[in-house]
Amino acid sequence: MTPLERAEAKFGWKLVAPTILILGLLILYPLMYNVYLSFFDVQLNGYKTFVGLENYIKLLTNTDYYSAIGTTSLYLLGTVVGTTLLGLAMALLLKDPFKGRGLVNAAIMLPYVAPVISVVFGWQFLFDPISGVVNYLFVDVLGIWSERTNLIGNPDSALWVVVLFDIWKHAPIAYLLILSKLVSVSRDQYEAAAIDGYGPIGRFFHVTLPELYFVLATVVLLRLIWNLNRFEDVYLLAPNVQTLPIFTYYQAFTGVIDQGLAAATSVIQLAVLSVFIWFYIKKIMKW
Amino acid sequence: MAAITLKNIIKSYDKTQVVKGIDLAIEDGEFVVLVGPSGCGKSTTLRMIAGLEQPTSGDIIIGDRVVNDIEPQNRNIAMVFQNYALYPHKSVKENIVFALRRLKVDNDEIERRLSEISEMLQLEELLDRKPADLSGGQRQRVAMGRAIIREADVFLFDEPLSNLDSKLRSHMRTEIGKIHNKFGRTSVYVTHDQVEAMTLADKVVVLHDGYIAQYGTPMEIYLNPTNIFVAQFIGSPSMNIIEGTLFNDYLDIDGHHLPREKLSNVAYQETISDSGLKVKVGIRPDFFNDKAFFSETDLTFNFNNVVIDLIEPMGFDKEVLFNLAGGSVKARLDLRSDITLGVKIDLLVDLSRVLIFDPETEQRL
Ligand SMILES: Nc1ncnc2c1ncn2[C@@H]1O[C@H](COP(=O)(O)OP(=O)(O)O)[C@@H](O)[C@H]1O
Ligand SMILES: [Mg+2]
Repeated sequence: MTPLERAEAKFGWKLVAPTILILGLLILYPLMYNVYLSFFDVQLNGYKTFVGLENYIKLLTNTDYYSAIGTTSLYLLGTVVGTTLLGLAMALLLKDPFKGRGLVNAAIMLPYVAPVISVVFGWQFLFDPISGVVNYLFVDVLGIWSERTNLIGNPDSALWVVVLFDIWKHAPIAYLLILSKLVSVSRDQYEAAAIDGYGPIGRFFHVTLPELYFVLATVVLLRLIWNLNRFEDVYLLAPNVQTLPIFTYYQAFTGVIDQGLAAATSVIQLAVLSVFIWFYIKKIMKW
Repeated sequence: MAAITLKNIIKSYDKTQVVKGIDLAIEDGEFVVLVGPSGCGKSTTLRMIAGLEQPTSGDIIIGDRVVNDIEPQNRNIAMVFQNYALYPHKSVKENIVFALRRLKVDNDEIERRLSEISEMLQLEELLDRKPADLSGGQRQRVAMGRAIIREADVFLFDEPLSNLDSKLRSHMRTEIGKIHNKFGRTSVYVTHDQVEAMTLADKVVVLHDGYIAQYGTPMEIYLNPTNIFVAQFIGSPSMNIIEGTLFNDYLDIDGHHLPREKLSNVAYQETISDSGLKVKVGIRPDFFNDKAFFSETDLTFNFNNVVIDLIEPMGFDKEVLFNLAGGSVKARLDLRSDITLGVKIDLLVDLSRVLIFDPETEQRL
C-alpha cells in the first residue's frame, strides 16, 4: 500500500465503523442465537433441552434433506445460468443506442420491480391445466403435448416452472448490471482487435468477455446468494418444490414443529455458503 | 506489399461533409504523411483506409482489391492508435503477438519475431507486465510492436507520438523512421505536427478542411507551396505574408522595388496595367540574412535600414521582428548577428525564394 492508500483505508474504516457495529449486533445476535438453538430440542412453550449434536445427526440421516439439497442445486444451476445468460444476451442486443431505448429498458425492468405476490398469481394462471395459456398453446395450438398437464402440481416439472419464473423475474437485474459495464468498454479496443484480424466472435471472446469478467462473476455470486436463501417466490408459486429454505420452513413451522432441527439446517447452510463465498471471492474475483 | 489508391473519397456524418473528395495515389513502400490542423479530416481519412469507417462515396483500393466492403480484419493492415488502444487484460507479450495468434503462426516463429521486436523496441523487461503498469512511452512502444510484428501490407499511424513529451517524441520519431527503412512497408501517418511530416515523409499530403491542399515531397511543399494555407502551415516559424503590388518590371513592397526578372519563382506572365496588381508576397523568415555576414549578389535584394522591434533568441539562431508594408515581418538570423532593439540593419533576401499569391483565391501566381 502507498501512504495515500493507507490513509484512505484508515479513513474508510472510520467511516464504516458505526455501521459495522450496528449491523454486527443486528446480524450477529440472531446468528449466534441460531447456532445456540441448533444444539437444543425446542418445545412450543419455549422450553429447551440440550441435545448436543442430535439435531445434526437427525438431519444428516434424513433422506429428505438430501433431496432438498439436490433440488436446491438444480434450482441454483438453472436460475444462475439462466439469468446470467439471458441478461448477457439482452445487454449485447440492446447495447447500441436506438430510438425508444428508455421505454424498452423500463419494460425490461418491469418483472423485477413488480411485487412477487401479484405476479405469482399471474404465473399460476398461465400454467393452469384447464384455462391456462401454456396448456392451450402447447396442446391446442402447437400440438406438441398430447394432453393437458398440471405442470405446477407435479414437483418435478414445478421445479422448472419455478426456475423459469426466477429467470423471468431476475434477468433484468443481471441485464442492468452487465449493460452498465458493457457501454463503458472503449470502442478502440474493438477497433484494435478488428485490425489485429479478429471478427465479431474473436472480439467477443478477447475484448467483451475479459471486460465483463468481473461483473459476470458478481452477478453469478449475487444470484447464488440470493437464490440459496430464496423463499417467497418458490413457496408462493409452487410450495411442493422443496428447496432448502422451504425444507427448513416446513421443519420449523409446520407439522411436528422442530425449531432446533431447522436451526441446524441453517447453520450448515450458512457455513457452506460462507466457505463458498470466501473461496469465490479469493479465487474467481481475485480480490 | 501494397499500393493504396483513394478515388474521390467523400465522408459525411449526417449532413456535414468532413472529407470532401480526396484523390490520392500512394505507391508501394512509400511513407506518406497526412498533415493538417485539428479537425481537418485526417483521422477520418485514415480510418477509412483501415476500414473502421465506411466512405460515403468513392473507392479505396489497397493492392489490387477495392476494399470498400472488406472488413478491417480482412484488409491485412496494422495500425498504431493515438491512445494506443492496448488490451488491458493481456500482458505486453500477448498484446504484441495477438495478431499472430489469429494468423495461427507457429510458436517458434512467434517467439523469434517477438524477441527481435522486443529487442528493437527495448521491451524485453516488460513482456510480462500489464499495460496499466507501463509509462506512456512504454505503452507507445508496445503499440508499435503490436503493429510491426504483423508484417502487414500497410502500416497506419494516427498521431502516434502526440501523447509523448517532446524529448521522447523526437526519439520515437527517429525510431519510426528507422523501422520504416528496415521494413519498407507502405505507411500512412497522420499528424498535426509539421516537423514529423517534414522529417518522416516521402510525400506529404496537406489537408485543409476536408480537401487536399497540396500533395508532394516535403521539399516541394516547403519551397513551392501552391497556396497561402500550405505556405503558412508548413515551416516554423511560418511564412511571412506581406502586402505588395506587382508591376511589369518590379514587385513593390512598401516602396522597395524587387526586380521582376530575378523573381524566378514567380510564374505570372500576363501584362499588368500601370496601376499594378495587388498581390500577397510570401517570404520565409529563413530566407532573410543579415548583410553583415552575407555578401550581396545579383540574386539577392537588400531591404536596407529596417528597424528591429523585437528579438527572440532561440539558441543557434534568433528571430527578429520588423515592420514592412503595415505588417509585422519575422526574419530568422544566425547567432552571429549582434543586434539590439531599435537598431537599423540591412536584410538580404534570396529573390528566387520570393513567392506571390492571389489575394482573393490565395493561390500561387
Ligand atoms: N463519428 C463522428 N460523428 C460526427 N462527426 C465526426 C465524427 N468523427 C469525426 N467527426 C468530425 O469530423 C471532422 C474531422 O474529424 P477528424 O478526422 O477526427 O479530424 P482530425 O484531422 O483532427 O483527425 C471533425 O470536425 C469531427 O468533429
Ligand atoms: Mg485525429
